[in-house]
Amino acid sequence: MTAALALHESLPSIAAPRDSLARLVGIGKTYGTGENAVTALAEATLDSRAGEVTLIEGPSGSGKTTLISILGLLLTPTTGEVWIEGQNVAGLGEKQLPGLRARNFGFVFQGFNLFPALTALENVAMAIQMKNGRAKDAKGEARRLLELVGLGPRMHHLPADLSGGQKQRVAIARALGGNPPILVGDEPTAALDTKTALSVMELLRELASNRGRAVVVVTHDPRLERFADRVVRVEDGLIQSIGSPSPHAHAHA
Amino acid sequence: MLVVRGMWTLARKLLLHDRLRFTVAIAGVSVSVMLVLVQVGLYFGFMDTASSLIDASKADIWVGKRSNDSFEFATPFDERTYYKVASVPGVERAERVIINFAQIKLPDGGDLGAQIVGVDLVPGQAPMLAPWNVVEGDAQRLTQPGAIVIDKSEVAKLHIEHAGHVTEVSGVRAEVVAMTSGIRSFTTSPIVFADIRTARSFMPMLGAEPVTYVLVKCKPGEDVEAVRARINALPHLAAYTTEQMSMRTRDYWSSRTGVGAGFFTTAVLGIIVGFVVVGQILYSGTLQYIREYGTLKAMGARNSAVVKVILSQAMISAALGFVVGAPLAMGMRAAMKSANLTVALSTELYLATLVITAVMCAFAALLSIVKVLRLDPASVFKA
Repeated sequence: MTAALALHESLPSIAAPRDSLARLVGIGKTYGTGENAVTALAEATLDSRAGEVTLIEGPSGSGKTTLISILGLLLTPTTGEVWIEGQNVAGLGEKQLPGLRARNFGFVFQGFNLFPALTALENVAMAIQMKNGRAKDAKGEARRLLELVGLGPRMHHLPADLSGGQKQRVAIARALGGNPPILVGDEPTAALDTKTALSVMELLRELASNRGRAVVVVTHDPRLERFADRVVRVEDGLIQSIGSPSPHAHAHA
Repeated sequence: MLVVRGMWTLARKLLLHDRLRFTVAIAGVSVSVMLVLVQVGLYFGFMDTASSLIDASKADIWVGKRSNDSFEFATPFDERTYYKVASVPGVERAERVIINFAQIKLPDGGDLGAQIVGVDLVPGQAPMLAPWNVVEGDAQRLTQPGAIVIDKSEVAKLHIEHAGHVTEVSGVRAEVVAMTSGIRSFTTSPIVFADIRTARSFMPMLGAEPVTYVLVKCKPGEDVEAVRARINALPHLAAYTTEQMSMRTRDYWSSRTGVGAGFFTTAVLGIIVGFVVVGQILYSGTLQYIREYGTLKAMGARNSAVVKVILSQAMISAALGFVVGAPLAMGMRAAMKSANLTVALSTELYLATLVITAVMCAFAALLSIVKVLRLDPASVFKA
């Protein structure tokens, strides 16, 4: 586990452990109206805390994606409150949300979503520039983040020349650009083999433990529970439980 | 500034990543640029040719019959009208010009229609219209009976290689005393300059002492418009400033013959070809990278930033397409010159084409821009 973060000092801690960085209160999301209305999520309340890894599990169509989309300010809830930076942002429009997302969230996806024409370094630097037009040394920050995730020697390679695990590390470095406190992962290990998947989760775990990030990951893979502090089970649009990892999962520490 | 540089870098790399698609895009824009430049250049070249005699004159006013539509196919009037014009207050000097068609004898015994331009040459006085760009022989000899001047570009048609060649025009002996360069008629018939007396001998069917136009030089300080108004008051005559006459002639050939519409239709087709090719290339590229664009938007990139990437790709395509297309047009101009076709490529035309190309590519990017503007960043979670 210790090898995952190459340069601890390059990424400052965000907040004291267990501080709530984002909070969903009584969230509901309904698509359509009248007889065609479909409730994707109801009465969901969830904290995203500094230093914690939260896994969101549940069958397909259960509402996991809706939950993290609302948490990541990508989707506006029908009901409820979304608290970020000390304010309820549930009613904000698309003009204010990109800035809030840029400051607070980094996203990691199953498919990596890296520009194939850009090197690892350029992919990360580009995201930093897009997030903050006034970023003075985007390449320098990108270089430090890639070294942090152990990809210093491969930073000038195109995605096509990287393995799946390396691509996901680039995606994690990109998510860390601009120093957001919350990392949201949508099945970030689904496209990886077991060994690589575990090393990626190990990296996310370290970012939470040592750098104070709140990490929220949607997954179908129960083996990842060993890295989690909390496991949220979602079924039929309802949060069924929020609890500790199953006893069979190994403790992360 | 950093973001702008980043946009250009991303746009350039996205374009160059797929070399084949990039090549097709640049080829599309290049063909479009070349078609616009060549077609509009040909049009301007034809128009310059159509009014070249008028533009080369030193007259203030051209006077012809009011019923005239075409410069070349004008109806003559008799010489008394010339004296009436010459006596209008404010006129310093007037010169007669006769323009009509006659048959010139070819060395093989055949005939070829030629546009005879009879000019009023008075020894010791600079004429308002006379052959220019003389490259061979002595144009001063044009006052001699039977003397004519032809253009070098008509050598192949007339089989007249040098000054000194003797031929016949309408059965009358004519000697080529000089040759010019670059004087051509819109009607494609060779222009044959002659003194008005010689020219009249070539066209006896027009009656005694015909005149097609009277060229007027106003007295110094005289209001040209006022003089023109006085001449217009004379019955059956229409007077135009040289500039008006030039525009009138260009308009005639451009609108009455459909030449303008023909050239501009082809130029517009060129723009449409470029628009479709670039639009298709940009749109397929946008679809290819739609998840990456969505990721950037999810991470907080504003719509404007993503739109700049697509517009930058459009502008790079426009610039490179122009860089390739403009030399192609220059090559076409050189090739067409050998066929006696003038492609008038001016700095203004290059600049206008560059702007048109940029606008074309920007419009071609609209579909892609709408696509990313409507792209829901949450869609990246729906793998």
